[in-house]
Parts: sequence; C-alpha cells; structure tokens
Amino acid sequence: MTSEAQAVTRTVAEVPLARRFGVIWWGALLASGALVLLLGYTLVSVTLIGVGVWGINIPFVWGFDLINYAWWIGIANGASLFAAILVLRRHDLRTAVNRFAEGVAFFAVICAGIFPIIHLGRPWLFYWVFPYPATFQVWPQFRSTLTWDFWAISTHAIVTSLLWYVGLIPDLATLRDRARNRTVKRLYGVFALGWRGSVRDWAYHQRAYRLVAILVLPLILIMQSTVAFEFAVTLVPDWHETRQPLHFVATGLAQGLSIVLLVAVLLRWGLRLGSYIDEGDIDLLGRLVLASALVSAYLYVDEIVAALLADGIAQEATFNRLTGDYAGLYWTAIVYSILIPQLLWLKAARRSTVACIFVGFSIGVGIWFDRFSIIVGGLQTDYLPSIWRTYSPTLAETGLFLGTIGLFAALLLLFVRFLPVVSMFETRHDEHEEKSS
Amino acid sequence: MREEALLDLDAVKARLAKEEGPRLWRSLEELADLPEIRRYVEAEFPDIVQASSVDRRTLLRLMGASFALGGLAACNGSGAERNAPLLSQSRNMPGYTPGVPVTIATSLPLNGYGRGVLVKAQEGRPIKIEGNPLHPASLGATDVFAQAEILSLYDPDRSETPLQNGSSRTWEELTNFIRPVRNELVVGEGRGLHILVPPTSSPTLLRLMAQARQLFPLAQWHVFSPVDDDNRRAAARAAFGRDLDLVYDLTQADVVVTVGGDLFAEEAGHLRYAADYQARRRMQDRALPRLLAVETRSSLVGARADERIPLRPRDIEAFVQGVAAALGAGPAPAGAQHPSVAKLADDLRRAGSRGLMVAGREQPARVHGLVHAINAQIGAFGTTIRTIEPVRSMVGDTRTLADLAQAIEAGEVSRVLVLGGNPVYAAPADIDLASLIQRVPLSLHLGQHRDETATACHWHVPEAHPLESWGDLRAFDGTVGLRQPATVPLRPGLSAEEFLGLMAGQNLDGRALVQATWREAWGDGFDERWTRSLEDGVIEGSALPAVAAEVRSALVDEPADPTRSAGIDVVFAPDPSVWDGSYANNGWLQELPKPLTKQVWGNAALIGPETASVFGLTSGDAIDLAVEGRVIRAPVWVMPGHAPGSVTLTLGYGRRQAGRIGNGIGFDAYAVRSSRWPWIASGEIRKAGERIPVISTQQHHSLQGRDIVRVVASDKDAVETAMEQPSLYPDWSYEGHAWGMAIDLDACIGCNACVIACQAENNIAVVGPEEVARGREMHWLRVDRYHGGDPANPDTYFQPVPCMHCEKAPCEVVCPVNATVHSAEGLNDMVYNRCIGTRTCSNNCPYKVRRFNFLDYQGTDYTASPDAMNPQVTVRDRGVMEKCTYCVQRIGAARADARIEDRSLRDGEVATACQQACPTQAIVFGDVNDPDSAVSRLKGSPRNYALLGTLNTRPRTTYLARIEPSSENG
Repeated sequence: MTSEAQAVTRTVAEVPLARRFGVIWWGALLASGALVLLLGYTLVSVTLIGVGVWGINIPFVWGFDLINYAWWIGIANGASLFAAILVLRRHDLRTAVNRFAEGVAFFAVICAGIFPIIHLGRPWLFYWVFPYPATFQVWPQFRSTLTWDFWAISTHAIVTSLLWYVGLIPDLATLRDRARNRTVKRLYGVFALGWRGSVRDWAYHQRAYRLVAILVLPLILIMQSTVAFEFAVTLVPDWHETRQPLHFVATGLAQGLSIVLLVAVLLRWGLRLGSYIDEGDIDLLGRLVLASALVSAYLYVDEIVAALLADGIAQEATFNRLTGDYAGLYWTAIVYSILIPQLLWLKAARRSTVACIFVGFSIGVGIWFDRFSIIVGGLQTDYLPSIWRTYSPTLAETGLFLGTIGLFAALLLLFVRFLPVVSMFETRHDEHEEKSS
Repeated sequence: MREEALLDLDAVKARLAKEEGPRLWRSLEELADLPEIRRYVEAEFPDIVQASSVDRRTLLRLMGASFALGGLAACNGSGAERNAPLLSQSRNMPGYTPGVPVTIATSLPLNGYGRGVLVKAQEGRPIKIEGNPLHPASLGATDVFAQAEILSLYDPDRSETPLQNGSSRTWEELTNFIRPVRNELVVGEGRGLHILVPPTSSPTLLRLMAQARQLFPLAQWHVFSPVDDDNRRAAARAAFGRDLDLVYDLTQADVVVTVGGDLFAEEAGHLRYAADYQARRRMQDRALPRLLAVETRSSLVGARADERIPLRPRDIEAFVQGVAAALGAGPAPAGAQHPSVAKLADDLRRAGSRGLMVAGREQPARVHGLVHAINAQIGAFGTTIRTIEPVRSMVGDTRTLADLAQAIEAGEVSRVLVLGGNPVYAAPADIDLASLIQRVPLSLHLGQHRDETATACHWHVPEAHPLESWGDLRAFDGTVGLRQPATVPLRPGLSAEEFLGLMAGQNLDGRALVQATWREAWGDGFDERWTRSLEDGVIEGSALPAVAAEVRSALVDEPADPTRSAGIDVVFAPDPSVWDGSYANNGWLQELPKPLTKQVWGNAALIGPETASVFGLTSGDAIDLAVEGRVIRAPVWVMPGHAPGSVTLTLGYGRRQAGRIGNGIGFDAYAVRSSRWPWIASGEIRKAGERIPVISTQQHHSLQGRDIVRVVASDKDAVETAMEQPSLYPDWSYEGHAWGMAIDLDACIGCNACVIACQAENNIAVVGPEEVARGREMHWLRVDRYHGGDPANPDTYFQPVPCMHCEKAPCEVVCPVNATVHSAEGLNDMVYNRCIGTRTCSNNCPYKVRRFNFLDYQGTDYTASPDAMNPQVTVRDRGVMEKCTYCVQRIGAARADARIEDRSLRDGEVATACQQACPTQAIVFGDVNDPDSAVSRLKGSPRNYALLGTLNTRPRTTYLARIEPSSENG
C-alpha cells in the first residue's frame, strides 16, 4: 500500500473514528432528533386514535400516507439504481458517491416502509398481507396490487440493505483494524464478518457485490412500477393509464439522482472530502440529473398527449388536474422538477455547491408535488360528480412527513459519523490503478 | 266525583313513588342488584355470593341464572298491568321464541296526525320502525321522522324526573304539590286556568279534553303548533261555511297542480300522496298524469313535477287568480298574466274532474279560496278531492297562543298547563312566551325534554314517548290507528292522555283510558274488536266519511298581504330534517342530508341564483335578515330553482335547550316570525361580510353531461346500454339465488326515507358535523341529487346509490387480505373482521359507496344507545371499511324461516330496509335467477340500465330511466 493510499484511508476513516464530533453535526442531529420525536408522536397518535386524525375522507382515502410513500420509494429507487449501475459498469464515479447513494437508498426505504403499515386502519394487523399458515386458511389476495407492493417493498428493503452492507464489508474491516478502542474494534469486527483481505475474500466480495447490484436493476423497475400499479390498476379515470409505471420510474430516478447530488454536495462541503468527491464527479452527477429531468419532461408531455387521446372522462380528469382545484400542485411540480433543473446546462451551475444544492432540493420538492398532484388531484374528477370533493392535509399528516424527513436526516448523520461515507477500498483501488498505469 | 278524583291521586302517588328508576332491566348488574334475585342466587348458589372474585365459570352460571330470572321479572313484575307491552303477552303466546323479534303495530304522531307503523322489538327493545301496510297514511312506507323515532326513544337527554324550578323532584313531591292545586281548581271551576295544547287528532285525548272542560268550565283552552293550518281553516270556513279537511285521491288525477307547500313531504298524507301519484303513473291503460308545481322554493313535488313554475310568493295569488279567471271561476286579476297561466288553465280544463289543484299550508287563505273555486269549477270535488270533517277537531271554544299572551298580560291567568310541544321555543317572535309564562303564578309543562318551555315553567313533568304509552291517532283521512307501547317505559313519564285523565279525575291507566273511548263507541263486541284493532294497528272502517261540501265563495276576507311592500319575500317552511324543531336532538335526522340542498347539521336561508347575484352572495355567505325590525344572521344557500326576490327559512334550528345533539345547531328562524304573518312575510337582507360554513354532503350538482341519470320519453323507450365486454376473470355461477336490485328513477321522489331506514337497520354511526364536513359521513345509501338545465328553473333528478354488488367487483380484486369477497348468491360481502383498513377497495369503487371508520365512530357523543342497535348487524370497529350489504341479515332470516318450513324462498319475502321504507316502491329487491321475480321483470324493462355500465363492473343494482314525455330519448 502506497503512502498516498494510506493517506486516503486515513482521511475517510478519520471521520467515523474521531472522538469529537463537530458542533454543526450535533446541531443537525438535535434538529433531526426533534423531528424523529415528532414522528414518534404522530405515529402513536394515529395508532391510538385512528387514521381519522389525517385529512383523508371518501373519496380521498389516501393522502399524505401514499404521497410520502411514493416519494420516499422514488428516492430509494433512484439512488439504488444509480449505485447499482455504477457498480456494474465499474464507473469512476462510484468511488465517490456509491456508498452514500446506497445509504440514501437504504434510509429512504426505511422511511417509505413506515407508511404502508401506519396508513392501515388497523396497523397492528399488517402481517395479514403475509401468506402465513393462518388457522382459518385465509390467504392474501394475490391479485391485489397491495399484496404485490408488500412483496416489492420487502424485497426492496432486503436488496438495498444488502447492496449497502456488502459494499461496506471491506471498509468495516479497515475501521476494525484502525479502531483505537477495544469495544469499537469488536463492534466493527462483528459486522466485518471476519474479513481478512485475502485474494479469495476479494474475489468473493466482488462477485457478491455485483450480484446484488444486478438484482437491484430489475427490482427498481418492479418496485416503482408496483407503486404505480396501485394507481394504474384502479378504475380511477386519471390513474387508469398504462403510462403510469413509466412515469413513476422515470420521475423517481430523477428524484433519486437529485437527492444523491444533494447529499454528495452537502457531504463534500460538510466533511471536507473535496479531493475524493471531486468537481468532475459532481459535474457528471449534475449531467445525469439534467438528463433524468429531461426524461421526466418528456413524460409530462406524454401525459398531456395521452390525455388528449383518452376518452372524455379520463381526459376531463387529467385536465382537471392541470386546471382545477389542485392545478397548483401540478404546475409546482413542473417548475421544480423540470424547469429549475435546466440550470444544470450551465457548467458554472454544475460546479457551484449552492446551485447543486438548490437543484437537488428542487427536484425532490417537485416530485413530491407531482405525487401529490397524481394521488389527490387525479382522484378529484371521478365518474360520479356527486362525490367530487377536496382533500387537505392536517397537522398530523404534515408532522408525519416532517418526521420521516427527520428520521432520514438523523440516519444520514449517524451514517456519516460512524461509517465511511466514501468507499475506502474503491478509492485505494482506483488510485492504485492510476499509479500502475 | 270530586272525592273519587282525590282518592285516585293517592293511588297515583303510591304508584309513581315506586317508579323512580327504569323498569326495564338493561344490564346484568342492575338485575343482580334486585333483592329477589340476590335472595334467589344466595339460596341456589351460596358460593357465588361469598366468592370475593368472580371467575369465568361462575360468571357464566350467574349470567345464566340472571337471564332466566330476567325473563320472569319482565313477565310478572309488579304493576305490569299499566303499559304492559304486548311483548310480555307474546312471551306467553305459543310460537314466541326468544331472540326472534316481535312486531307491534302502533301509530306515531306528526303534527297531530297519525302514521301507522310496525315496531320491531328485540327482547323488549324497539329497534326498527316500518310502515304499517294496513294504515292508509303509510301503506307500508315510512317517512324519515317515523324511522328516526327509535333514536328519539333512546335519547339520553329525555327528562327523567319532574323538575321544580330546575331542581329534580320525586314523583311523590309532584303529586303532593299538584293535589291541592287541582282541588282548588276544581272548586273554582277552573277559573284562571289556561291550558295550551298542540293540535291533536286523538279521539281519546279529545274525549278527555271534553271531560276536563266539564270539570273546569271556566278554564280556557289554547291550541298552538308552529306548523299550523290557520290559512286553510280560514279558507274552508269562507268557502264551505265550516271547517272541513280535504283528502286528495291522486290515483284519479290526470293533472295535478300544486301551489306552494310540498304535497310529497309536508302534508299529513304525504306518504300516501306520493304512493298514489306513482301508482297513477304506473297505470298502463292510462296516459301519464301531468304534475305541475307553482312554488317559491324547490320542493320534492317540484323536483318530480313535469313543469315547475317558480314564483315569488307575492305573484302566486295573481297567478292562481289568473287560472281561476281562465276557467271561469272568478274575476281576472289586474295586470299582465304570467305566460304559463293559459296553458296551465287549459291543462286543468281538459282534465276536468280528473284535475286537481292543491295549495300548500303557507299560502294565504285567499289562494286557498281560489284553489277551492278552481277545483269546484273543474268538478274535482267528488273525484280527486274528498271533503271530510276536520280530523284534528277541537271540541268547544279554543283560542290561540296570541290570546294566551293577551290573557297573561291582562293578568287573567293564574295557572297555565302546557301539555306537550315546545311553545316557548316555537312561539312567534312577537310573543315573548318565556317571560310571559314567568308572570303566571303557576305553570306546568309536560314534555319529553327539559327544553326551553320546561325551563320557563315552574314545573316540568316528563312525558312518555309515543312508543311507551297508550293512545290513538287519526290519520289524514280520519282512520284511527291505536297507539300501544312497544316497550316498557324506559323512563318514568306520563302521556298527555294520562295527565288529562288525571286532571279529569279518571284513573291513570293509559290503556283503560283508550279502551274507555272505544268501549263507548263500539258497545258490544268490544273485546274482539279491540284485539283485532291492536293487531292491525288500525280500526277498520274508521276513516271519516265524505261529507257534501259546496264552494259558496272563493273570496276570503283577509287583511292585505305584507309582501306588497318593497323588499324581499320571506317564506317559512318546516324543515325536512327536524320539522318544527322537535327532532333537533335526533342525530340521525341532523345528519340526514336534506333532499334538495344535501345540507346536514344546520339550516340555511335559501335563495335563488338570481337573488344571489343581485346581492353578490355565494353559498355560505352570511346575511342579516330583517323582518319587522327583528334581525337574524344566517348563512345563505343558493338553491337552483328558488324563485327570485324571495328567501326561504326552514324552522326548527337554533335550539338552545334541545340536548347534547341539537343545541346551537343552525339559526332560529322563529326569531323573525310574527304571529300575524307566520308563513309569508316581507323583509330586507344585507350581506353581513362573514362566512358561516354550511355543511353539505354533495358539492357538485351538475351531471357534467354524463349519462348517470337517464331519461326516456315513454315506458316503451329503451335506453342505450353498454355492450357487455369480456373479462379476464371467469364468470360466477349461481346454483340457488342471485340477489339483485332495481331502482326506478321514475318513482324516486328523493324523500330520504331509504337513507334513514338503512341507518336504523344497519347500526350506521352518526359522525357529527366536523366529520361530515371532512367528507366522512357513513350512510351506506346516499341519494344523489343532480340539477340540469337553467339554474333559475332546473330539472332535478334524484338517484339513490347503494352498493352495486358488482358481478365483476373492482373492490374484490384489490383487497390484499380478501376482506371483501363475492358470495355464493352474488352479494359483495364485507368481512369486517378480516379488514385491515387499506381503503384500496374504496379507491377502486367507481360508485364510491364504501364507507370507512376513520375514527371510533361507535364511541362518540353521537353514538346511539346500545339498546337501539340491531343485534343482527355487527357494530363496526375503528379502521374497518363498511358498505351496503343488501341487508344480508334479512336474507339470512328469511332463509332460516324458509328452511324451518322446508320450502324455498318466495319472491318478495326478503325486503331490504330501503325498499321497505320507500313510499313509491322505487326500490325492488329479489332473486334475479328467478325469471318471474319482480326484480327480474323490472330488469327486463327497456328502461333498465347499469350505472357506469361501460366500466364492465356488471352491477347487480340497476336503474330504470326516468320518464319525461316532453324530453327526447336520452
């Protein structure tokens, strides 16, 4: 190992092994911790009182629960798809962003996973969707998209966590080796699974890593599509569209990439990892985000064209989404997820921390509004005008949403503190290759 | 006589003193506390009494013993003679099975008239009210008020003990107080005594009043009801020379013209009139009748009418006068004629004796007089109109509430008795009855609630509910229905009959009082006739005979109309949900969407779209409405079809002491009502610049050009139906029955009886105004109301929407846990226990008929007493989806009956709650596998169509298109 490579390892490993954490980190953790408390409060209240604490009604039986679910799943999917592609293509960029792309995906899945359970009228019975051998021999309804969703989200959680964890193993071993404290050493040691760094270890690791990454690819399409099926399979005029899965996959990818960009820029700035996540990496990421935003734009256009070709009621429903009570949501989504990312055409913007944070953030916001527009705005103009109503969220729902953001942030903060955010072994590997070439 | 009366009071005192608590045992604890049970248990199971903690086995044994004893106690309890319900007799009858409900025929009052009902009581608890098919005012149907009476019976706010100046008193204290007062009155021949009663048709009550008059010859009797027929009486006196009631026969009518009011909702015979009109429409051998409505606000009859002519109240008289003139029944009015006058007169002329014109009770006496003249001119008397002696006839001299107020002011009143009603709340604003009553040295109120009048009076005596006491009532045509208790009294109370009997020196047994009336009338053969009348619920042949009447004069001497002035015309109307306010504490009725506005939990000032644009108002804007210097603030509701230049206020809201449900809901229209112009007044409105939320269950009123409600030109015309498309899923096969429903939109008048019948039958929760405002009402059956055409005078369509029980149900395939499944008989079953509450089924239901328990709706302040619940229907938990089941419990019960008798189910044996309540038989339910069933025949009609048939859901509930001869095939 060269001295430079050792230096890399030291810098990255220094972060989780440092004794003292910065004030900003503590402040951020406190803030997100407060939001986690809020999450706990809203979860307990909805469990004890009922989903009636939310603003949902008939016909809007789903509100923030599904909006946020779809949104978090989008982040998880985009981020893990990105990470998996990098692993498979052995792209340079993976060194810089893979680890936290995987982390972002995993934490987003955790946030998303809260909603399908807590949104149930009787959440304590959620396991009934699992095909366990019940006394009455009642099985789940396999034709239901919600059953598909159950399988999709549980598979997604397993694969995403595996991808993240498998990638971490060699670095956990490094942390074990460098730990100054016996307890910490033991702890990292357990999770490093007895990694010795032998050639055999490396060979198996590479195979496992790539295998999991390959698994991610179809899974992402399936996961996003399943979320989309929950809408597309119903008879609701605006939802009942074959284009729905494509819309969810593409916009979800844009959203996941933008969150990866956002987190990458924040980490680069916050942890002073400028030399490991270099400007080139961020630039490349920015181009990807822009490309995905263009794909989303194409799909928005497709939506309007599809509506023009659709029959009267479906057309009316889509146009109501564009012009009716909830039109604001749709147009906000357009501005934030399509128009603002066009900034990234400029090289200066791609290299500017502030601009990248802004764009990353704005796509996240935009897609959230898009999900809101689909789930609420799309349901407004149903078949029978007599039941046309409106929905608006209550504080309990908003609190739940903020709470999951808090949980996500808290998990990320703990992650950057206790685990290497940039893959040390990949970085060493890259630099070694550069040197030898 | 006097001595006897005094002795009786002693007996009363002794009996009432015993009657402190409820006499129906309602809980095991209560039962176990009875000393005789305790003694029995001690003797039989000494270890139970000694056991300090009760284990499960012991508890079960104890429960067994208690239940056995409970039955005995209910049968043989002391004092069971009075008000003994038929239930306790039927327990001794062969064939009575515990657990099988008992049906009791009785009558319920509304505005003094009787409607015959059958009360279903389960183990002594009335749980459901149906119409009595033998009763002429019901023919088996019910209105919303009759259905909701169950909830009123179990109202926790009903008063329990006598009150003196607001403090509870025992019955003994009450009798101790009354005795000297009565003795003094008897001695003084009733001088200074004023008795205020609501109008009544009860022969027993009228007999007792007559007796009381003999005992207190100097007492004054006042009759007051906020929904009175003063104008009608005045017109009858002028036209016929005496009081007469009119009974209409709509089966005979070819052309019906209504002027104001609501023939299908507000008349004493409204259920019968709606049924008769539909029966007339169904007559295949005669052309469709024409129904025309001249009215200010939109009403049920206006919504059903072939032609509606919206008119300001001030223009109605000229219109009717124009019609009269065109028919040669009177002089022509001055000024230009309304364009519809000639055509309408022409319709009536051609119909001749098969024509009918009806005026609503709010119309001035002059309009009634003109209508009499028109009816006489076309020869309607004798064919479509029958004149009978007045049903609510008071014997002797009666006075008004205004007279009472005058007498109090003159200091002539020393005792005032208010026997029922709530006049302090419902009195016109110019009579400040609350403070007037307080000037009377002694006042006593008999009522079911500690309401506004109870508070104003010195004494308040709890009144028995009509389902708890004996009585009799005449229907709109004079037919007498006996009123018998359907339960033992849930709370101690006296009926008005018993109270008057007490005053008149009779004994206190309500049954004996009613029997005495009829023993006198029938003479021999009383017992047999009495039993038969009790079983039937009506006294056979008791309808009042037609009396000859001649219209002598169409001119009614009446002071000039107040609406001649500038300003807006103000019309008062009874509310479709709470009537005059007496139903304000009834959660079912408060949450019942009013037929035309779909408003719940409140009232609104109804204005037309033109008035709204003149004043810049939208629904929910507050106005200050001033009438004769009195001002109220009210939200407006823009009602399509409401005549311009006028505003309609419905009565019965803004109650201050209705109880926990009704307090402070809506605004009090009585506050601007005057005794001089109780129905039509003139006022000013001003925008208040504030918004008062109006809660409505329907926010969009247009059909959006969609073929949701279909219309055809005649019964033979076919509607376009969707092609049946292929489905991925295999078809179901039905070996036995396959249930289905057909709803005839031509028959539906939108009266809501089905909605509340469904609520009563299926234990549907009341969720309260906040929850309804969020869009979470629980009604399994809703009546959608759509408007089409010009908002100034639109077409109105009603469409009841229960679960469609789709053959290819979209809800079934999306439920992840199989909680909603297809039954072997085609029902779309909801398995509450299995539901985890994903709500996906509702998302995928294009009809949106599923209802979700967002919160624990069965544990709120609005929750009905557990005693009112139908034990055959699960009470749904929080977090569970629910919806119409086609009354699966009724199907099950009928199937069980059929199996016991070893036969198959007959067509018509299963009637859903909505079907049974419907006055026009718009809803038909049955087996679609049986080609001869009524529902199959209807589904074979060319008018039959599936709602949203293009979605290929293949609904089992289908609709029959409405028939509108003038419109094209739609």
